[in-house]
Amino acid sequence: MMKVPKVAFFDFTCCEGCQLQVTNLGEELLELLKFLDLVEFRETMSERWDGIYDIAVIEGSITTPHDVERIRRIRQRSRTLIAYGSCATIGGVNGMKNAFDLEEILQYVYGEGARFFTTLPTRPVHEVVPVEYFVHGCPVYQPEFLEVLKCALLGIPYHVPDVAVCVECKFNENVCFYERGLTCLGPITRAGCNSWCINNGNICYGCRGMVSNPNERGFLEVLERYGVRVEFLVRRMDMYNACRILKGAGKRHGEEHTR
Amino acid sequence: MEYLVLPRSSFDLFVEYLVRRGKVVAPVAKGNGQFVFSEVRKGSDIALRYILTILPPKKYFMPQYETLAEYDTRRGQKLQPVVEVEPLILFGVHTCDLAGIQCLDVVFSDRPKDLNYLVRREYITVIGLECNDYCDTYASCGLMGTFLPQGGYDLFFTDLGEYFLIHVGTQKGEDLVRDIPFLERAQSQHLAELEALRARKAQIFRPEVPVDRALLPRMFREGFEAGVWEEIGNRCLSCANCTNVCPTCYCFDVRDVPDVNLVTGRRIRVWDSCQNEPFAKIASGESFRAERSDRKRHRFNRKFSYPVKRYNRFFCTGCGRCSRVCMAKIDLKETITRLAQETGYLKV
Amino acid sequence: MEKLLLSHTGYEVKEARILRTSRLTEKDKLFELSLVDGEILDFEPGQFVEVSLLGVGEAPISISSSPTKRQSFELCVRAVGRLTTALHRLEAGDVVGIRGPFGVGFPITRLIGHDLLLIAGGIGIAPLRSLINYVMDNRRDFGRVHVLFGCKDPQNLLFRDEIELWQRRMDVGFQCTVDRADPDWKGNVGMVTALIPGVDINPEETFAVMVGPPVMYRFVIAELLKKGIPEGQIVLSLERHMKCGLGKCGHCQIHDIYCCQDGPVFFYEKIKDLKGAI
Repeated sequence: MMKVPKVAFFDFTCCEGCQLQVTNLGEELLELLKFLDLVEFRETMSERWDGIYDIAVIEGSITTPHDVERIRRIRQRSRTLIAYGSCATIGGVNGMKNAFDLEEILQYVYGEGARFFTTLPTRPVHEVVPVEYFVHGCPVYQPEFLEVLKCALLGIPYHVPDVAVCVECKFNENVCFYERGLTCLGPITRAGCNSWCINNGNICYGCRGMVSNPNERGFLEVLERYGVRVEFLVRRMDMYNACRILKGAGKRHGEEHTR
Repeated sequence: MEYLVLPRSSFDLFVEYLVRRGKVVAPVAKGNGQFVFSEVRKGSDIALRYILTILPPKKYFMPQYETLAEYDTRRGQKLQPVVEVEPLILFGVHTCDLAGIQCLDVVFSDRPKDLNYLVRREYITVIGLECNDYCDTYASCGLMGTFLPQGGYDLFFTDLGEYFLIHVGTQKGEDLVRDIPFLERAQSQHLAELEALRARKAQIFRPEVPVDRALLPRMFREGFEAGVWEEIGNRCLSCANCTNVCPTCYCFDVRDVPDVNLVTGRRIRVWDSCQNEPFAKIASGESFRAERSDRKRHRFNRKFSYPVKRYNRFFCTGCGRCSRVCMAKIDLKETITRLAQETGYLKV
Repeated sequence: MEKLLLSHTGYEVKEARILRTSRLTEKDKLFELSLVDGEILDFEPGQFVEVSLLGVGEAPISISSSPTKRQSFELCVRAVGRLTTALHRLEAGDVVGIRGPFGVGFPITRLIGHDLLLIAGGIGIAPLRSLINYVMDNRRDFGRVHVLFGCKDPQNLLFRDEIELWQRRMDVGFQCTVDRADPDWKGNVGMVTALIPGVDINPEETFAVMVGPPVMYRFVIAELLKKGIPEGQIVLSLERHMKCGLGKCGHCQIHDIYCCQDGPVFFYEKIKDLKGAI
């Protein structure tokens, strides 16, 4: 096999929960460390590396001019970039900021100190620099993270399943939440998480982003049948997907339904 | 083969006997009025009256994820084909699901034979359970003629109140019950009660849609361009629930799962669905069933038309799962009715 | 769960060593292979194999060489997916897995003794080349032979050297066209369909065999019918993503037909009424 690849983990605007998922891999992480050289990982080590990264794993969204500069520098030094976690892949919860006036938000968060900060609309990593691999989810689902890392190490593409969470949810033979009177985003959210939340008694919050071609009109009819108000659903969708842009229209997704 | 009588009071003993023989799976309540096939340890675990399980028993015959071969790249590019097997007693399979297993048998026995399926199947003992009445209104076993047993089991149970009548269908079934002391040979009055039940059932189970079953393949051919496909296509979310829960859907994807060391790994097959957006895509990105209506039509034809031509049997067992599970409420009986209206096959 | 080891399930592979590779275009690479165990891959023009790389997966790829060339076989691979991308990194000496050959090839016994009009569009030349070279090697078995080949632009022209050889042969009428020319291009410009009216054939005696994208089929078939070639003498190959090659997985299904077993080569009259086939 080729030389041991240098792998580094970086975090941007995020809660660092995805790093925690990686450290929680436990024995699998130890197994993994036999095959790669971990050169930077803030949550687990203090060492730094000044060479070229074979694989840089990026957590968090890009939300400040400093972020932009930093991710560009990392990109220049990396052969392969993996964006992992909803913040990095679709903007995630940080995207909620985009619905407000940025100055107002700055004031709200930092008050008097606002003048020391600059902020930008939240963007997923690939809207700033090219990204080779995506691991969606808040947090990432460990088996999928491993799957993607293996693809990156083998240098082959990873295709995020472009099917609904329902597919894996049915594999797991869960009782559908709609039958239990709850609204779940599984039918329009892309799979790959093995319906992790639903298996554990929670609904799907859409943290992985939408399938490429959701049947929006059909879904609205379904919601109507189950007595779910569209505004409710859009708000729920916006928790993770406020950064999404409607195909071609160039406007934020939620607006279409709420107007 | 013969009929045996199991007193109801001995049912728990019977299940205990099975459990001593190996892993027993049977319908178990999952809450919200839904059921799943799952391992049981005693008679009271089993839901004898159940609405069909979320997934059909096919999950034991072709698992969601199934290893086809293992590899070790240190030994070159060779693959070692494997079959994962587990001796299993499958108890409480309704007649529609027995028909479903028979469909899978036909497909995987067809040349080239699928050994992964056929070898695993040998390890499974199937015990059927008769439906005395409809499970719910989604079923269309009257139309498909699957409310009566037509083979496909090793043993078959009929609940006749005070006792179960057991039909021994195969040598495997015979071997399983041979040494059970509390089973008795059935007498003529038992068989008369069975006949009476079946006569009652013939009155209950009628074609749920007034169409001639034998004409269904023709109706689907002629209705290829019918408006109903567009209509249900507009509603479909492509969640693939209908195919995943279908007892006769068997499409799959083949993938590699390398181990973390990247040296060893497995080649697996995973359930796939013609309802999924990427299913009929080719390398250039073109999809041959890009529209939801194309995909819905394909699914229905794969139940009522194509397999009739290829295997001479319907691949709809009337179990009703696809309608029960559809969030968009695309209903099989309604769809057939609409199609029959459009094509003039609806009996008046 | 108990694990049984089997020797033959249909999913085992034969190892094949890469003897030579040549880059045809930026995206296309030709691999010449032979089976490691020394056996000859027994195939017909138009059939395909599943190519396997452990840890990466499999992809169906049509055989691009003629079976008349016994000792090795060739695959022309366009890097578009997971397997094909990984395949492009391999060089002579590397080993891959092969399953197959699968499917029904071109109906050679029907073609023998007739005139041929062979038409390829883009990467469609890869499977058709198997037949073209078969015909060249058994030239006396066939009547008049015309080959028409269309591709996007001169940069994407596959088998450039071979095309020159075909062009020079006196016993074959060969024409090539590109959709968009560059300054160095001296040949035809336009769709391959535009070449058909000018070809001098006896429609009763001619079998048309074509491989290309669906959009090409729609237009070419219309031209062939205009030319008077009967539907029963038009043959084409349908591209699908066969996952198993064994008529089970469903990915290549068109109505009640499985492309991997019943095809990929079909007579036009057999599939013309199947919506979604082309």
